[in-house]
Amino acid sequence: MTKDEARILFMDYIYGELNDTEKQELELFVNQHEDLKLELEELSDTRSLLQHLPVQSPAEQLVMMEPEKKSTSTSEPWWKGLAAFLSPQSGFGRTGFAMATFVFLFFVMGAFTNMNISNGDNGFSITFGEQPPVQTGYSAAQVEMIINQVQRENAQLVNEIVLAAQEQQEVQFQQTFASFADYLNDQRSTDLELINIGLTSLEETTYDRFRQTDQVLGEIIETVSIK
Amino acid sequence: MEDARLVQDFLGGNHQAFNQLVGRWQDRIHHFAYRYFASSDDAAEITQKTFIKAYQKLNTLDDVQKFGSWLYRIANNLCLDELKRAGRKRSTSLEVLKVAPQTQLETPADGGLIRSEALVLLHKALLQLPNEQRMVVIMKEYEGLTFKEIAEILDESENTIKSRLYYGLRALKKTFDSWNIKKEVFSYD
Repeated sequence: MTKDEARILFMDYIYGELNDTEKQELELFVNQHEDLKLELEELSDTRSLLQHLPVQSPAEQLVMMEPEKKSTSTSEPWWKGLAAFLSPQSGFGRTGFAMATFVFLFFVMGAFTNMNISNGDNGFSITFGEQPPVQTGYSAAQVEMIINQVQRENAQLVNEIVLAAQEQQEVQFQQTFASFADYLNDQRSTDLELINIGLTSLEETTYDRFRQTDQVLGEIIETVSIK
Repeated sequence: MEDARLVQDFLGGNHQAFNQLVGRWQDRIHHFAYRYFASSDDAAEITQKTFIKAYQKLNTLDDVQKFGSWLYRIANNLCLDELKRAGRKRSTSLEVLKVAPQTQLETPADGGLIRSEALVLLHKALLQLPNEQRMVVIMKEYEGLTFKEIAEILDESENTIKSRLYYGLRALKKTFDSWNIKKEVFSYD
């Protein structure tokens, strides 16, 4: 026996769940180990302390009342019993019963309202009441009317296109003339500015030459006077 | 009449047989829950719920001989549900802090006071144990169930139960030492 095994047996020992042989064997082993002996005493002491824990008894006695049994009295109308008998009890059964009832009512209502279910090129459709006559083609008058309408629409469309083109052309002409006028104005302004610059430059050159000429003449006169 | 016979009678339609079972087990379930929560209100609620559930589910009991273990299992589960529901982590309840009942009989004034305080601390120490250890300590120490029965109730192995009890008692020993609770306090008896 190991100490761990002995410790597990401690619980059986202090609660009296060991037979005599096991008990003697454990006591013999514990007496050879002081630490185990002390531990066992501590556990026993702890147990004896726990025995003092107070307790409170319930304030009142519980009584379970018998649930009322389902009565079979004749006060209920007969149809309730029949409905209860016919209606399914399980959830699945009730769901199925509800779906069957819905389908049945759907077809009954359909019969009264001339319901028609069809599946054509345009998809699945359900209609009620009298069905409109099915049109299989156009009459000559309808064809002539359609042609006339198409011609009118075409003429109107061509007219609109021509008018739009004319308007667009006029706008383009106006824009071109305006651009040309602006160009001419700019050119004229530039020329005038160039002429102005030329004249100013000529004036300055002429003035300089006059000044140089006066200066040279002055020098010549001065030279002649000295001589 | 044995519990098993009463269970069979109830399942056979005798409603009063269940009330006899209630009469037999109410105190034990109430004590069990009281020691677990240290609250009379909680204990009464758990007891009531336990018997209501037992009434509703008794037809699912496989072995009528194990009615007691089955009832403790219901009570245990309800205690755990209550802990989860209330999120209670309180180590003690106000009720425990009141003067403990049934304890101050013919003892000297000072001794009685010390003893009352020690009893309160005893319950506080028990409440401080982890739930699984506390449950085993209560079932073994106070309900007197065998390790096998506790193992069945808690759906654990017997060694696991013994291990929990061992560590529970060790933890209680430490708490008692730290709070200076000794056997001598109760020696006035």
